[in-house]
Amino acid sequence: MAVAGVLGRRSAASRLVEGYGQELVVLGAIAALLVIVGTVNPRFLGENNLISMFSGNAYIAVAAIGMSLVIISGHIDVSVGSLIGVLATIAGTLAVGDYPIWVAWTVPVLVGVVINTFVGALIAYFRIPSIVVTLGMLSILKGGLISYTAGTWITGMPPEFFIAQARLFGIPAPVYFMVVLTIAMALWMRYAALGRAIYAVGGNPEAARASGLYPERVCVAAFAMHGFFAGIAALLFATQLQVIQSTVPPNLELTVITASVIGGVSILGGTGTVIGSTLAAILFACISSALVFLNVSAYWLRAVLGLLILATVLADMARRRRHRAGRL
Amino acid sequence: MIRTSLIAAVALSVMAGTAWAQTWTGGDDLPTSPLACDATPATAAAKPYDGAEPANVPDRKGKEITVVDVPKLIGIGYFNATSKGIADAAKELGNVSVKTDGPTKANIDEQITFIDNYITSGVDGILFAANDPVAIAPVLKKALSKGINVVGYDANSTPDARQWFVNQAEFNGIAKALVDNMAKEIGEDGAFAIVTSTFTTPNQARWIAEMAAYAEKCHPNMKWLETVEAQEDNVLSFNQASTLINKYGDELKGLFGMTSVATPASAEAVTQAGKCGEIAVVGLATPNAMKPYVEKDCVTSVVLWNPVDLGYAAMHVMRAVADGALKPGATSVTAGKLGELQVINGSEILLGAPFTFTKENIGGFDF
Amino acid sequence: MSRYLVRHETILAVLLVLALIVLSFQSDRFFTVDNLLNQGRLMAEVGLIALAMTFVIVSAGIDLSVGSILGLVAILLGVFWQNLGLPLPLAMVLGVVAGGLAGLFNGIIITRFRVPPLIATLATLALYRGLAEGISQARSVRGYPEWFFVLGQGEVLGVPTQVWIFLVCAAVAAVVLGLSTFGRATYAAGANAVAARFSGIPVDRTILLIYTASGLISGLAAVIFVSRVSTTRSDMGTGLELDVITAVVLGGTSIFGGRGTIIGTLLGLMLMQALKNGLALAGVKGDGTIVVIGLILIATIIISNLVRRETDG
Repeated sequence: MAVAGVLGRRSAASRLVEGYGQELVVLGAIAALLVIVGTVNPRFLGENNLISMFSGNAYIAVAAIGMSLVIISGHIDVSVGSLIGVLATIAGTLAVGDYPIWVAWTVPVLVGVVINTFVGALIAYFRIPSIVVTLGMLSILKGGLISYTAGTWITGMPPEFFIAQARLFGIPAPVYFMVVLTIAMALWMRYAALGRAIYAVGGNPEAARASGLYPERVCVAAFAMHGFFAGIAALLFATQLQVIQSTVPPNLELTVITASVIGGVSILGGTGTVIGSTLAAILFACISSALVFLNVSAYWLRAVLGLLILATVLADMARRRRHRAGRL
Repeated sequence: MIRTSLIAAVALSVMAGTAWAQTWTGGDDLPTSPLACDATPATAAAKPYDGAEPANVPDRKGKEITVVDVPKLIGIGYFNATSKGIADAAKELGNVSVKTDGPTKANIDEQITFIDNYITSGVDGILFAANDPVAIAPVLKKALSKGINVVGYDANSTPDARQWFVNQAEFNGIAKALVDNMAKEIGEDGAFAIVTSTFTTPNQARWIAEMAAYAEKCHPNMKWLETVEAQEDNVLSFNQASTLINKYGDELKGLFGMTSVATPASAEAVTQAGKCGEIAVVGLATPNAMKPYVEKDCVTSVVLWNPVDLGYAAMHVMRAVADGALKPGATSVTAGKLGELQVINGSEILLGAPFTFTKENIGGFDF
Repeated sequence: MSRYLVRHETILAVLLVLALIVLSFQSDRFFTVDNLLNQGRLMAEVGLIALAMTFVIVSAGIDLSVGSILGLVAILLGVFWQNLGLPLPLAMVLGVVAGGLAGLFNGIIITRFRVPPLIATLATLALYRGLAEGISQARSVRGYPEWFFVLGQGEVLGVPTQVWIFLVCAAVAAVVLGLSTFGRATYAAGANAVAARFSGIPVDRTILLIYTASGLISGLAAVIFVSRVSTTRSDMGTGLELDVITAVVLGGTSIFGGRGTIIGTLLGLMLMQALKNGLALAGVKGDGTIVVIGLILIATIIISNLVRRETDG
């Protein structure tokens, strides 16, 4: 190709595009939004609004880390919204029930790990497709939660319970959770043996087995970790406000899955990074804030959101195709 | 190219959106009837009974009856409170066995299926809170045709699909209470925004329409900034309210919460933004969720009827209808400890005027 | 493979019969002609869409946008009829066509741009619902003429109208999937798209047609739904996709593609509806019922897998 020289000179940049193409697209979209909306209304870039945007969706970003693991390993979980509802209710119930605060913080995370380990085992050892198991779990968790609580709000938690409202250097705790967990998991996925095994199993389970991995164990591990992140997400979700609704947050599973896939996690397994899913969760927060700032009629809000998702996906596909064409 | 197309998409949709934004208030198209600006009560024209009558009703006077209560959805605080009221009244009456059951999301289709199944199972009475006044009508008419007594509460159906409707408070009365309280707190020229559930929720849309009409009539200088949707989700409500606060800065003086979820979440957003006392929150909410904010003086007035009383009244009306004590043309009905309730608009029973909770009285309520 | 299919459906049929027997003992109002026909009326919309979804899933795809298409078509039906003043029959046809276009759009994104179906329809799930909300501006369209209600509330020869429509569609779907070239292409595309392409099967055209059909039938379901509830709202059909997918998967269609039958889907649908209705009549509340359905879904697939492993190995 005529541009070969140019490509050669920009090889570092093109390698970055190759490795983190989708993340860059999402980052570009965030930047574009910040610039455009910031020009129209400078308050969009005000300190308060930036903090709201980054912390408000942090629980979705954390849940999307776990979801990304599951999707990269070649599975899916449509029950995560119900699970977060259940775990948040457990946290709140323990907090008002005279248990020490650390119990109210750790038990939901453990329960999340236990439930999802069980789910992972069903998928791995009984060979049931993950969407079937998690569809079933969605019903079981949701129905169980409603029978148990009838939607009674949980109020009157002790003030030190509200970890998501804590601030350090003026930045809310959820932002730290989101950033630290994302970076830690990104490194882990890249360098740890199990992290790499998740990619291998998601990419091609049979080849992974042939090279000495146990796809079943990797699947269970991915789900167990997903349960851990769902537990953390539930804590952030439960401690953000003074009341816990003790219901299933509507459509949360779709939001989490969308964040993962928009962030570049391939639904076919094997590729993607958790950095992308976190960026996508931030992008969603920016979009919904931007729509209010730009006076987009709330009637059209969801249509605009749908268009944006579609545009991101198509842009990614175009990029991949160009990339493939470039390589040929 | 990718970025250009993205930006183009954003710009296009934004333009399309802003074009529509101008015409929009969040209300419905039905005619409004704002109350007088002072405390003059509305003089309702007497209207003949416009409810329906069930066919071939067996004599249920004084007999044990089975009643099912199908709210808009189960698993939320508000309908948990109404079902408690219904159960309380049933226990007090002693000759009613009642069960609350319904969909887990406010979905017209599932609600219809639930009612249909209970018609088949052979109940004597159905209490309902409709997700949509028209969509629920066919199945309620089916119930009437099978001799089942049908009474609504909280959210009405078309009058010809039920016998009576227990109205918690008239739409224009709620609108007046909300707007007057807001005007008192932020002044006659303050600017406010609204956080509601969805624009398709009939009650909320009606209140917003009545609020617009009343504000225009009695507080013409107040500035209506915008209305945002937040489902019945408290984190979303919190995020939306925070965005409004960030967007309008000092211009925003007041927030209306149109649901018992949106109001505490808006109060929380104001608290966490450190704007207590600068931004007033007025809205519909249950006292328990609002106590922390009222006690911290972040919120001074909360408007709501008592949902436990609403359920309680609905059960008593059901019993009175089954006994034949409440007949078309009646002007009042006795509802246990609530005493005499007035009949309005032909076939509605009014629970009373909306109640305003303040720091002084909120401690006395627990729901 | 065919042995497996027979097995799964046999298990399902046994379960269904068991459920029917147990449930009829729980309530004498369950196993009556009246009630069963009524259940047919209530499940017609989900059932219709489940037929198309069987094709979609057999072709190794998924369509999450069906509930949103239903909502969009319902709104368009009202807009065409009331705001544009078109005659109602024409508005009905145009509504269904619009559903087909929405499905075609899904198909184009999937086949032309190679976007995985889950992501493509996740995006259009938001898009179509958003269009419904934007176009309707939260207004409902009501006041349809009496004849229109025949479709959703009326009866033909004592059987609800939409049950006839559903039966006809089911028969057509069963024949097409089981006996036609198109059906074989669907299985081939789902089992191994690459191999299918190499053996000259028009995979892309097949998939495009399947998603278009899914949109069309969602549109048809929307018209029936509007006729049944006599109004339009932009939130109609929210969450319907999960019910539909549950029924299809319960019916033994493999989510990985290449496997599944219309008979299985019908059995799955009936089992789900029988449980919902029967448990309600037996006094179980709605939240308990969804727990049972979740358990049955997992248990059925486990049993079916175990049986398969036994016969295989």
